[in-house]
Amino acid sequence: MTSLLHSIRWRVQAWHAVVLLAVILAFCAVTYRLAWDNQLRRVDRAIMQSERELIRSLVDLLPASPVTGKPEPFSPARLLEHLRATRPVVPPAVASRFQGTEPGYNYFSIRDADGRVLLQSPNTPADLAIPPAAAGSFTDDWRNVGDRRETLRRNPEGMSSLFGADLTPEREEMRRFAWSLGTAGLGVWVLGLLGGWWLAGRAIRPIQVISATATRIADGNLAERIDPSGTDSELDQLGRVLNASFDRLHAALEQQKLFTADASHELKTPVTILLAETQRALKRDRPAAEYRAVLETCQAAAERMRHLTESLLVLARQEATGPHGPREHCDLAALLRDTADQLRPLATARQLTLETDLQSAACLGDPSALAILATNLVANALQHHDRPGGTVRVSCCTEDGRATFTVTDDGPGIPPKHLPNIFSRFYRADQARTGGSGHSGLGLAIARSVAANHGGTITAENLPVRGARFTVTLLAGARPPTR
Amino acid sequence: MRVLVIEDDPLLLQSLAASLREELFAVDTAADGEEGLYKARETAYDAIVLDVMLPRLDGWGVLAGLRPARRTPVLMLTARDAVPDRVKGLNLGADDYLTKPFDLDELLARLRALIRRTSGQTQAVLRIGELALDTAARRVELAGAEIVLTAREYGLLEYLALHRGEVVTRTTLYEHLFDENDSSLSNLLDVHVSNLRKKLGRDLILTRRGHGYSIA
Repeated sequence: MTSLLHSIRWRVQAWHAVVLLAVILAFCAVTYRLAWDNQLRRVDRAIMQSERELIRSLVDLLPASPVTGKPEPFSPARLLEHLRATRPVVPPAVASRFQGTEPGYNYFSIRDADGRVLLQSPNTPADLAIPPAAAGSFTDDWRNVGDRRETLRRNPEGMSSLFGADLTPEREEMRRFAWSLGTAGLGVWVLGLLGGWWLAGRAIRPIQVISATATRIADGNLAERIDPSGTDSELDQLGRVLNASFDRLHAALEQQKLFTADASHELKTPVTILLAETQRALKRDRPAAEYRAVLETCQAAAERMRHLTESLLVLARQEATGPHGPREHCDLAALLRDTADQLRPLATARQLTLETDLQSAACLGDPSALAILATNLVANALQHHDRPGGTVRVSCCTEDGRATFTVTDDGPGIPPKHLPNIFSRFYRADQARTGGSGHSGLGLAIARSVAANHGGTITAENLPVRGARFTVTLLAGARPPTR
Repeated sequence: MRVLVIEDDPLLLQSLAASLREELFAVDTAADGEEGLYKARETAYDAIVLDVMLPRLDGWGVLAGLRPARRTPVLMLTARDAVPDRVKGLNLGADDYLTKPFDLDELLARLRALIRRTSGQTQAVLRIGELALDTAARRVELAGAEIVLTAREYGLLEYLALHRGEVVTRTTLYEHLFDENDSSLSNLLDVHVSNLRKKLGRDLILTRRGHGYSIA
């Protein structure tokens, strides 16, 4: 039962049943009322018709004027007087209308101001009650007494005339009408319920589809998506919102998978070297020099693994920190000067010149992360330079309110087809593992991650003649640097 | 047996070459795909060890360039162990694959099996009369007694045994026993054959004058 109460379809159906029932009941009540009023009006017209005929027959009985010999103009007073005086006999044609007590019979009673009966039909009910009237007024009342409909008129002379009709046939008709109305209403209600059930099912079918799809996605089928109906309905919008969320989650998960796969892939080569070298060395006894050579190879492989794992850690930390890392005001110029000093030995070893053009540029950020960013860019430029005697130039300044630094080299540049991908993890323009150089394929990915975390951007471009330039823009510091 | 190792990682290349040389293979090396393809086309190697990720021309490219002209057996090394990668390699004409990191012994065993299969042999131990040649352990026994051979002598005997019944020219022998850095003179072959005859009996290796050598 609880599950029924929790089902949207059942709840919609229950409310629909209640509302539909109320509407149908109200409709039936109004219809019944109108039909009854209609019946009454019909009865009233019939009563008035009988009344007119009776009065006309009575008027016809009035004696002609003794003076003119012509019928005198009719007046109620004359009629009253005539009735009092003569107690006329109603012509049989008219009297036949007021006979018997079969259902629907008519009756009448005419009395004077004192309540004395002047003329009445033989079938006048015994319980007929005519309330005393205020004299001198003209009234015309319609009333229902039990199963009878009556009209009571009084004129200022005090004559009251009551005409009535039995309502039993109308009552019977209305009972039959009520039955058919009730049956029809019930039928409409049941049809309405069926229609409502169908509609509710139709309305929540997209929800069920969404739910089923979401369940399959939760079960691991991450590539599946909710099929939009193509309309712009609320559920379609919900589907699109969910799809967008699934896309983001899927992309994040795929990225994570790719990252893990790449990382393990990158670790496989040094592990292979370690295994191959140690297995070879252990196959037989060797001179010390050979063992030394094996150990050196193993050391190189291990160092490569260390470099790789360190880079992975830095990258993971950068991505975990996001844009909420520690922030302090620092001077890019000082930071870059330190970086250049640290990398000068590498430049010398590769017979390159490392130039600096550093103007004080305040920026807001994490100095250690920014140092990694700068080191990676400069080391990248130094390592990919192909000509001894070349130059790598580091400069910084504040431009358009943003702290900017560039690393420019006159090396081979970046092949245009690789430009869009060089910031991807483990992407290498030459598809080669650079082996012993300690290059992990993560340097530029880390650089981009750091820049993004600082609300900045990093771009790479080839220079028109020769070489490449990396440009980093960062949020400028809010106040001048203190050092 | 002469093999070509195509691998871009200098440390791994050096390590693999050293391991194979210690196992009495003659080893040539190539550090990128283009160089590897060139060498593979120029020389009739007994087997090629080919890494998939290579600069300039990747392993798939090398395979595509090699087949169908050369039927040299190729053992592919791949860091990705996804089934599609392996299937792709095998479909392109690779004969076997190994995923990194691998065991050196497995690499050697697979390489020997490849070479054996290519010459039509299925057993690791080749028997010629009373002579038993264990290609896995590189041991030679004559009537149950182990005979100690030098690396060259063993290589010469193994090659002739694997191509039993064929006449193997001196050039072929020279190609398969010495690597690209070896400048031994070809008349050294006669010395090795003579030594083998001393150790294993005069009738084992026949000389076809003007043609070469064979084991009947």
